[in-house]
Amino acid sequence: MFRQHEEQPARHPEALRLVSVRKVYGSGARAADAQQSTRAAQAENQVTALDGVSLSLPAGSFTAVMGPSGSGKSTLLQCAAGLDQPSSGVVVVDGAELVGGSETELTKFRRQRIGFVFQQFNLLPTLTVLQNVTLPLRLAGRRVDRQAAVRVLEEVGLGERLGYRPAELSGGQQQRVAIARALVTNPRVLFGDEPTGALDTRSARIVLDLLRRAVRDYGQTVVMVTHDPVAASYADSVLFLADGRLAGRLERPTAEAVAERMAHLGDEVLAAPAPGQSYGGSGGPWQPVNQGV
Amino acid sequence: MFTLALRSLRFRVGAFAASFLSTLLGATVLMSFASMLDTAAGDHVDAASEETLGTMATVVGGWGLLLVVFAVSSTLTLAVRQRAQEMALLKSVGATPAQLRRMVVGEALVVSTSAALLAVAPAMLGGRGLLAVLKETGQVNEEIDYAFGATGLSMGLGITFAAAVLAAFLGARRATAMRARDALTDAQLANPPMGLARRIGAVLLLLVGASQGVVTMTVMNGEGSDAMQTAGTASITFALGLALLAPLLVRTVGAVLTAPLRWFAGTSGYLTAHNVRRRTQQLANALMPVILFTGISFGTLYMQAVENDATDAAGLTKSTEDKNIELLNFVVIGMIALFACIMLINTLVATTTFRTREFGQQRLVGATPGQVLGTVGLEGLVLACSGIGFGSLAGLVTLIPFTIARTDRVVPDVGPAMYGGIVAVALLVTLASCVLTARRSLRTPAMEVVSAA
Repeated sequence: MFRQHEEQPARHPEALRLVSVRKVYGSGARAADAQQSTRAAQAENQVTALDGVSLSLPAGSFTAVMGPSGSGKSTLLQCAAGLDQPSSGVVVVDGAELVGGSETELTKFRRQRIGFVFQQFNLLPTLTVLQNVTLPLRLAGRRVDRQAAVRVLEEVGLGERLGYRPAELSGGQQQRVAIARALVTNPRVLFGDEPTGALDTRSARIVLDLLRRAVRDYGQTVVMVTHDPVAASYADSVLFLADGRLAGRLERPTAEAVAERMAHLGDEVLAAPAPGQSYGGSGGPWQPVNQGV
Repeated sequence: MFTLALRSLRFRVGAFAASFLSTLLGATVLMSFASMLDTAAGDHVDAASEETLGTMATVVGGWGLLLVVFAVSSTLTLAVRQRAQEMALLKSVGATPAQLRRMVVGEALVVSTSAALLAVAPAMLGGRGLLAVLKETGQVNEEIDYAFGATGLSMGLGITFAAAVLAAFLGARRATAMRARDALTDAQLANPPMGLARRIGAVLLLLVGASQGVVTMTVMNGEGSDAMQTAGTASITFALGLALLAPLLVRTVGAVLTAPLRWFAGTSGYLTAHNVRRRTQQLANALMPVILFTGISFGTLYMQAVENDATDAAGLTKSTEDKNIELLNFVVIGMIALFACIMLINTLVATTTFRTREFGQQRLVGATPGQVLGTVGLEGLVLACSGIGFGSLAGLVTLIPFTIARTDRVVPDVGPAMYGGIVAVALLVTLASCVLTARRSLRTPAMEVVSAA
């Protein structure tokens, strides 16, 4: 089982909301390190990774975020997941606003609401598969339900490998452990940063199927950054990002349609709404995607 | 390659700081004592003074060579190993292992030459101070003038230089033989079994140390201060034996402490227990200097205290030779303790820095900075306490037999203050190195740390 429904408090119908999120890198302390810290040099060093992104994702949706390199898609994910703090704007996860604070406060916010799957798995090498999966619970001081952890691992097909160490597993298996680890805390939103980026085609398909099953069968909300049109086609909808702004979306995507859209993303950027304005055609707030799911 | 060596020095000052510092200290001590030979060649030097000055210079010179080689090679090896990625990069653009070795040796030469030259001024002050002490205690003639000349300079520079080059060759050989992938990924977790030679060496050292203790109790019983000869080396030998067995000791400690750590220290204890069991090799490398520091300083300082009490009790005054031995004891112990501390700090800073990525992974899974630091601190505590425990055992191999031989007691009548000081230094150095390094590595955002590798 991916989760135990009986333990669940009511979920907010809106899993994730971003309002005018901006992220500017290279200001302040870092620019001061540079030998010339004149204002002009400082402005030149600044990179706007996110330029006023607003969006709303309902609970139980599977969204892919696509865009060319440097479009800000990883920054978007990190700001939404509380791993990085936006320069301005609001991030709301499951009805709770992510307020900037110390790393400890952000960590506690994430523990309760967010699961994250990375391209490079990031399993702890000294711990076994089962220990890696139960670690988030231990760190959060929650009761470690060994049976539940084993069930999640069985669900991702690794019930036989509980005592293995990450180095003894293939990349695909490690990523499935990482998914089990992200799901065991029952997160409101599961974020994936290129979760199939380091995997072969077959392993990638297994991982994507797992994510889709988590959404379909258990109502998990998943947001995934990818550059692979095939991976994006597993999602219910695709958001396109270019130069730090939302540049379109696609419902019920196919790999071909996504690839086609990506190829012409450059044209759309030129016709995109002004910075700061939320995307949504007529200038209204970004409409919830996949209301029916 | 030499140009590259200079450039890598310019941009990696931190990495070479440990090598530089240990070389600087080593060269200062070496030259301070070597200048006694220059001083002995001056006017107003009688035969007895000349002998005292000669002994000072040669005994300390010998120990100094050994310690500088040891300290420089360990610091340099770590500095080189941390650059495994850079080495792999250089290899991939066509550098041969020989070229890499030349680069490493070149770096070592620059570091050691500058450290040795910088050491000249403090060495002159140190030598002057040493002569003043020798005069004050009446070990040499009051009329002698201090001289710092060719002998001191060439001995100091020569030994430092030779030690650094030797150490660099040893470090470079290991670094360039290492395959880049091994260095970066699983090598840090590998727990290779201890080699047979190492086991045999360890057992021999322990046996020799123990038998020196027995000889002190039996043959040397009633022989007066001569018992120091066997008693003093007993703890050094025994501590070296234990240090060689460090991987085994870490495994034992890990097995014993796993349950209590999990029960009493929460999540940090849980992670610590795993790290102690999985990172045997790294912990063993850090355990060695703690054992050596504790064992040798505890054994020798208390032996000297017992000796002084026994001399006073017998109503005797110290002869010049007694004073020479006492001073040499303190100097050699001071040097060993200092170098053990440098090695300890260097090892801990390097291995903790190496774990930055692991800390990042823990943070991404939901560990607060406090939890990461708690785990690191607990590991440091386990390390320091084990080292102090085993080191104290080694110290007792000197202390108990010597007390029996010299005073007919078993437990010496010396207060615990000195022992408390030794324990405090070991604890402080270990914990500060681990926790401060970890805290620095926590300043970088976790995502950055994890994606950098």
